[in-house]
Amino acid sequence: MSNVAIADEILRVDNLHTTFTTSAGEVKAVEGVSFTVRRGEVLGIAGESGSGKSATMLSVMGLLGEAGLVSYDRLDFMGESLTPESVKALRGDKIAMVFQDPMTSLNPVLSVGYQLEEALRRHHWQGNIHERVAEMMTKVGIVPAEERMRQYPHEFSGGQRQRLMIAMSILCNPELLIADEPTTALDVTVQAQILGLLREIRESSGMSMILITHDLGVIAGEADRVIVMYGGRVMEEGTAREIFKSPAHPYTRGLLRSVPKADGSRERLIPIEGQPPDLLNPPEGCPFVKRCPEAMRICLRRKPEASCISDTHKFSCWKGAM
Amino acid sequence: MMLEVDGLTKYFDTPSGRVHSVDGVSFTVSKGETLGLVGESGCGKSTTARTIIRLYDPDGGRIIFGGHDITHATQRKLLPFRRRMQMIFQDPYASLNPRMTAGEIIREPMIIHSIPKDEHTDRVSHLLKLVGLNSEQAGRYPHEFSGGQRQRIGIARALAAEPEMLICDEPISALDVSIQAQIVNMLEDLQESLGLTYLFIAHDLSMVRHISTRVAVMYLGNIVELAGSDELYTRPLHPYTVSLLSSVPVPDPTAQRHIIPLKGEIPSAINPPSGCKFHTRCPKAKPECSQLRPELSDKGSGHFCSCPFV
Repeated sequence: MSNVAIADEILRVDNLHTTFTTSAGEVKAVEGVSFTVRRGEVLGIAGESGSGKSATMLSVMGLLGEAGLVSYDRLDFMGESLTPESVKALRGDKIAMVFQDPMTSLNPVLSVGYQLEEALRRHHWQGNIHERVAEMMTKVGIVPAEERMRQYPHEFSGGQRQRLMIAMSILCNPELLIADEPTTALDVTVQAQILGLLREIRESSGMSMILITHDLGVIAGEADRVIVMYGGRVMEEGTAREIFKSPAHPYTRGLLRSVPKADGSRERLIPIEGQPPDLLNPPEGCPFVKRCPEAMRICLRRKPEASCISDTHKFSCWKGAM
Repeated sequence: MMLEVDGLTKYFDTPSGRVHSVDGVSFTVSKGETLGLVGESGCGKSTTARTIIRLYDPDGGRIIFGGHDITHATQRKLLPFRRRMQMIFQDPYASLNPRMTAGEIIREPMIIHSIPKDEHTDRVSHLLKLVGLNSEQAGRYPHEFSGGQRQRIGIARALAAEPEMLICDEPISALDVSIQAQIVNMLEDLQESLGLTYLFIAHDLSMVRHISTRVAVMYLGNIVELAGSDELYTRPLHPYTVSLLSSVPVPDPTAQRHIIPLKGEIPSAINPPSGCKFHTRCPKAKPECSQLRPELSDKGSGHFCSCPFV
């Protein structure tokens, strides 16, 4: 891996580890995760519950507080190394986040206009705060903005609240938007509206995006590159085409086989057998070993290294090392 | 015919007015088939299901189950029908009593429906095996199981009363993708071996297509379209169905998609739009749509649609 920061690299994460200490024991939520995000690209992080996809981004953003023990070899944003202090200043400014639940992300007793203006005040916006908020609300389709700024969160639908969260996230022209399951709580027609809105914003601003979701369809439609996570580790990484057209890891392949075919054929689904990983008692070797139809003896004992299939496509499986 | 629903209505009175959750819904479900019921939040699909199983009292219309009108049957008269029609719920965490063991949970319907006590233990082990668990797990509590396993317990409980029909209200929505297929395959196997009839409610449109014989699409308390599963997905007629299906993301980055976006927001069910309730958002609306009273009509070979202009 090169030590020279590539000019268009927005975010680089090398060997991230996150551990939570619970009353039942230590949980290794993220184990050795590395990735980069380039300017203007959409990196999709796919994974099921407990895969570590959200913990990864919360660790990068310094949002775990005392709850998690985070370590990494390298964490750079636009060529500069991120520290707990610098990430605090960048949050909501150059790095913005949108979360799954638009119901709990807004304060119910403050008008939405006040809350959006507060975000700008906090980041010392040089300009007319009120006008900027009205402009962004209009951009996300909450109109007439002047009137709606005076309303409270309960006066907006779920889709509108997510639009407000997006308006809030892009107020300071971020370089990177981290969207953690941004449409999971929404209906499919509203999801299409929100994904379309995020696409328009990216096209006009050149902003990069990390899209975290369990929905393979959403990832396929939006992401340029994809990381597939399981049990706290990256199982496979590649372009969207590589991941969906020639998946290499048995987990990725299993995941794609377990959803109905896009053409609607009624073939019996092929599930991944077994249960989701128990993070308190992870296997010594590959986290997927207990459910893997192709598991070998070595998979039980040792964690596989990543093997490269192409410059962009790699997977962590002992089959690749054979 | 297993189930006939005719003009079913269910209102809820709230401080801000009357919510028209189910507003004249009619359909039939034949023995052994799976009728999928889809639509977005607030369209009334879950209320329809809960009214059919009489968790709510209907405000109008008729529910005929196995030839018997159960629309206004008393709780005592309902008991034998409840045994024949059971429900599986969405949330495998909230729908199991955390203080009861898996065995006790599965045994409860047997007590309610007076199944001889000496048969209970054998039946519990049989049911656990049927849903892919083992009889040693009967003594465990819900928190000792994963989400997918809990949903299996919920299914075993529904089967304990030996029903003919299962109403599945979003049975896989709370589960991980890799577990969803396990449960769907199991429901398909159980249907075949036990001859079950399903009313399958979900918002995952591709899974509904996969599991259903026919599919009904709801919007603001009405069914707007009903057709055979493949027919509906390949030849949708109603502008709402067309838009809904075009919005479904597909796990293929090379797929050519033409999303037909819907304008604006879903209107309030307290003051629904006049005429065709979809006219405020319909890309093909005509002036008369705010006046007409749309009714489901057969557009050929059992493909029903409420829009008169298609």
